Amino acid sequence: MSSEIPDPSEEPTPCAYTEYTEGEGVADLPATGEDAAGIEADVWDALYEIEDPEMPISIVDLGLIYGVDVTDDVATIDMTLTYSGCPARDMLLDEVEERVEAVEDIDGTHLRLVWSPEWSLEMVTEQGEQDLTEFGLAV
Amino acid sequence: MSTGEMLDPEDLDERERTALEHLGKRLGDDEFVLAERYTEWQVRSPSLESDLALSNIAQDELGHARLWYDVLDDVGLDEEELVYERDPDTFRHSTLVEQPFPEGDWADAILRSYLYDIAEKLRLEALEQSSYPKIADRVGKIQGEEEYHLEHAQNWLERLADGEDGTGRLQEALDRLFPHALTLFEPTDPDVEEDIVELGLRTATLPELGEEWLSIVLPFLESLDLDVPESGLADADGYAVTGEMLPAVRGRDGSHTESWDDLFADLTHTYRELERDRPTKIMEQP
Repeated sequence: MSSEIPDPSEEPTPCAYTEYTEGEGVADLPATGEDAAGIEADVWDALYEIEDPEMPISIVDLGLIYGVDVTDDVATIDMTLTYSGCPARDMLLDEVEERVEAVEDIDGTHLRLVWSPEWSLEMVTEQGEQDLTEFGLAV
Repeated sequence: MSTGEMLDPEDLDERERTALEHLGKRLGDDEFVLAERYTEWQVRSPSLESDLALSNIAQDELGHARLWYDVLDDVGLDEEELVYERDPDTFRHSTLVEQPFPEGDWADAILRSYLYDIAEKLRLEALEQSSYPKIADRVGKIQGEEEYHLEHAQNWLERLADGEDGTGRLQEALDRLFPHALTLFEPTDPDVEEDIVELGLRTATLPELGEEWLSIVLPFLESLDLDVPESGLADADGYAVTGEMLPAVRGRDGSHTESWDDLFADLTHTYRELERDRPTKIMEQP
C-alpha cells in the first residue's frame, strides 16, 4: 500500500490547517466593560447589541473592542477587526459609530481602528465561545 | 541614524511628512497592484484549490494595501486621491508587481509571489521597530497573514521544479522577472530614502534589504536547479544589488513599464465610465 493512502485502521489525520486555537492571550483583553459604570457602561451596552455580520455573536464577545473611554461626553472606542481584508469593515465601523452616538448624553464618537495586539481566538469571551458553539463552530 | 524616539502624528514637519508619504506609498502601492494582478487568476488557476488560495492571497494583499493607505490619512491623503484620482506616473510600486502574466503562465505567478513575499517578509521585519506608531502597530497583523503566502509559493515552486516542463517555465519566468524584482530595493527618491531611515521609519536601508533578499533567494532558486542571473551571485563582497542588474525603468521613482498604463486604465475603467469623482460605497446605510 502506498504510504500516501491513509490506513483506515489508524486515527484520521486532520489536514494541516484545522488548528484554530493558536494565539497568545493578552492581559486586559478581551475587554468587556464589566467594571464600567455610568455613561461608559451605557456605551458598552450599546456595543454588546452589535453582532458580527456573519455569525450570531456580539462584537464585544468576539473580542473586537479593546477599550472604551468617555470624556466630556465624547466616546473614544479602540477596536480591531479579525482580518485586515475584512469586506464588512465600513459597515461594521459605521454601525459602531451610529449605535454609540445614539447613547443618551453621548455627543460624538472617536473610533480608533487598532491592529496591535492582533486579534486571535484568545480574545473571544466565554459567552462568545458558547454562542459560536451553538452556531455550530468548534472553538 | 535613528533617534530612537517616536514621531508624533499630530506634529509632523515637512521632512517627516514627505518621508512618511513616500514610505506609505511604496508599501501600499506594491500590495495594491500585486493584488490587482493576482485577481486575474480568478476562475483561471490550474485547480479549484489553487484558485481559492491565490484569490485569498489577493484579498490579503488588498487588506494590507488598505492598512498602509490608512497611514497616509495622517498626511491628508484619502482613498480617491491614492487610487482613483491619482496620476499613474506617481505610483511608487516596484515594476515586478505590474508585469502582465504571459497567458496561462502559472509558473510566473508562483515565482513572482515567492520573490515578492521574501522581500515583504524582510521589509516587515525592518518596520517592527518603526518610529511611526501607526506603522509599528500594524506590522504584526500583516505578518500573521503573510506567513502562509510564502509557504504557498515555496510549495508550488518545489512541485513545478520537479519536472522538465515546469523547470523550463520557471527559468523563463526567472529571466524575465528577476531584474524587475530588484527594483523592490530601489529608492523612491535618494534623499527622501535617506530620511526614511534617519527618522527611524524603517530600521534597515534598502541595500541591506536587497543584500539579505539575494542571500535567501539565490541559494533557494539554485537548489531548484534554476540558473540564477549571473550578476546577482555572491562575489568577494557578498551579495549586492548593482546598477547593471536593474531594468531601464524602476517603478519606485514613478517610471513604469507600458503594462502599468494598461492596468491602471483597466482598474479605473468603470470609475471613469460612470463619471465618478469619488469611490462609492455599496451600502451607505447597512
